[in-house]
Amino acid sequence: MPTLKIDGQEITVERGTTILQAAEQLGVQIPTFCYHPGLSIAANCRMCLVDTNKAPKPLPACHAQVMDGMEVWTDSEKVKRTRKAVLEFILLNHPVDCPICDQAGECVLQDHYFKYSAQPSRLFHRKRHKAKAKVLGPNVILDAERCILCTRCVRFCDEIAKSSQLTIVNRGEKSEITTFPGKLLDNPYAANTVDICPVGALTSRDFRFRTRVWMLSSERSVCPECARGCTIRVDTFENVPRRYKPVHNPKVNDWWMCDAGRASFRDYLGDRMEGPTIVAADGRRTAVSTAKAVEDAARAIQAAGGHHKVAVIASPWLTNEDAYLLARLLTGALADARVYMGGRAAGAGDDVLIQADKNPNRRGVDAIFAALGVTAQPLASFAGAGVETVVVFGDNHDAAESVLDAIKAVPRRVVAGTRMSPWWQLATTFLPLRLHWEKDGSYTNFEGVVQRLRRAVRAASTCKSEGWYAMKLAQSFGDALAFDTPQDIFAAVASAVPEFAGLGWSALGDHGLRFGEGAAPAAGPSADAQMEASP
Amino acid sequence: MATIQVKRRDGLSLAEKLYIPEVMRGMVVTTRQLVKNVFGHQDIATRQYPEVKKAYPERFRGRHRLTWRDDGSVRCVACMLCSTACPANCIHIVAGDRGDEKIEKYPVSFEIDLLVCVYCGMCVEACPCDAIRMDTGTHPMPSFSRDKQRIRKVQLLEEGLPSTARQGGLGT
Repeated sequence: MPTLKIDGQEITVERGTTILQAAEQLGVQIPTFCYHPGLSIAANCRMCLVDTNKAPKPLPACHAQVMDGMEVWTDSEKVKRTRKAVLEFILLNHPVDCPICDQAGECVLQDHYFKYSAQPSRLFHRKRHKAKAKVLGPNVILDAERCILCTRCVRFCDEIAKSSQLTIVNRGEKSEITTFPGKLLDNPYAANTVDICPVGALTSRDFRFRTRVWMLSSERSVCPECARGCTIRVDTFENVPRRYKPVHNPKVNDWWMCDAGRASFRDYLGDRMEGPTIVAADGRRTAVSTAKAVEDAARAIQAAGGHHKVAVIASPWLTNEDAYLLARLLTGALADARVYMGGRAAGAGDDVLIQADKNPNRRGVDAIFAALGVTAQPLASFAGAGVETVVVFGDNHDAAESVLDAIKAVPRRVVAGTRMSPWWQLATTFLPLRLHWEKDGSYTNFEGVVQRLRRAVRAASTCKSEGWYAMKLAQSFGDALAFDTPQDIFAAVASAVPEFAGLGWSALGDHGLRFGEGAAPAAGPSADAQMEASP
Repeated sequence: MATIQVKRRDGLSLAEKLYIPEVMRGMVVTTRQLVKNVFGHQDIATRQYPEVKKAYPERFRGRHRLTWRDDGSVRCVACMLCSTACPANCIHIVAGDRGDEKIEKYPVSFEIDLLVCVYCGMCVEACPCDAIRMDTGTHPMPSFSRDKQRIRKVQLLEEGLPSTARQGGLGT
């Protein structure tokens, strides 16, 4: 194993390690543009040039492998001069239109310029002009003047999305990123090119001009659109989610997420139903307090005349904590009730990230229900015969007309939902729910990775989680079910469900824990810190 | 040590106690001022306010205005640096796509809540385009509703003027 010195610090690394990786291990930062840990190495931006004793000229640290006895200087006068020169070349024809560029604020070029160059342009000639605001595909728009030709996007399409839709045409200063003739950048992962673009060349069409990035507040969460559960950042401004961004998680999604998941936040923005409502027989709606609505729901359940005439529709959208509380209700006071499992219908999947199961927590809910002894029938088998009261948790259920009609035929219908939907319309008692970005909790993905869901948005005080309603209903039937925080519930889940054994709330950390990983320490943050430094 | 002579008044003098002479003396002062006001306008300290206004100093930070381009369109590119710099959070901009090759972005709406504004001038400092200025030399006028104090793009442009600063950067 070669031993080398970087800025005077000695380190021994594996053979084949690059200088950049070795420096990372020492905590020495080397600026990069084209290097991305998830992609192949191109070494074309030359930003990472470092001085060594093994070569007369500076070497690209992202590409050059370490040698025994190597000495590397990342901060010598020569390296500083080199970086300044590289940045001058990169910025030669750059339009410097930061005020109207969506990348400003999270732009690697901006950061590097202020840190390593900070000199005015010495160009007296007219700048080279290229395509502006060129639509590449449904989600991505290109400004070729801002492009530094690092080819991260080209490599992403070739290596991750396997679609090979982008390329560089022409030579020298006329070089430009574009799609192949007649093709669009329309692969299901296209928007990741926006994330990895170090400058503002590729920007999101959805997010275009909406919010300046420095105004956003972020919270780590989980994308609920399929069973993969990609780790995401929910970026909010004025308490409204503005975009999802994938966050590096080697256990789940690496650096990526699909475009459908990324765009899905819009589905939840409008039509929120935030008030508890009771609907009279003549269709008159009365807004009531949360306590009144829960009381009414409990009364509706009691009015069924025996709990075997009560049907409860659970959802694979429940967090692990909510599922546990609901399972406690269904094994306690409502032990005789019939249980159905709703959720969204299966869709298309692929072998990159997208799963066919379009529900975020089926694995977790199934494990918790199985461990506590709740057996759920599929919602499609709901016929309604002999059911006097139906309790629906969540409104992300794809149900056939016949099932909806069967539910509509049930005299008392308690629905806990988030927004305007067929489920809201058939409610006789409506309990407003929190959305996934308004909850603290955890989801289990299809591989059994339990990840934290963090509250990114403050919900209206009338909105509660499914678990809270289950707990209040259980209490109104005399069950001693009381938890204060999701931590406490998660601890109860960990002790009651064998799959969750040993998992701790705080140990879930940023990357989550896989079933059975309970005793293992949380993964180190090194790769993650690098990712956040150069997205 | 110096000695300070303090002269105390010992009540009213006889002339003052007689009252009438003092009243006459006061009337003389008043009459003199009246004659001066009627026949010699130039020395009056009072300003005839709504008709005659005092010119504010040149660097007075008054009501905002948005400058124009040569073609009369708004110079602002909706970069939000003013609303970022604003310590009172009174600038609300919604950006849109202008469909122009060179300068793609423009403010669809630009609102300043004058009731919230603290007239610090940070927005003017922050603007990279010379698009917002506070050199109208006027202060906000009273109104009967709060909504009237939220001035919008149209009003900001009405007060505006063309800017001669170059836009679009060097080498364009």
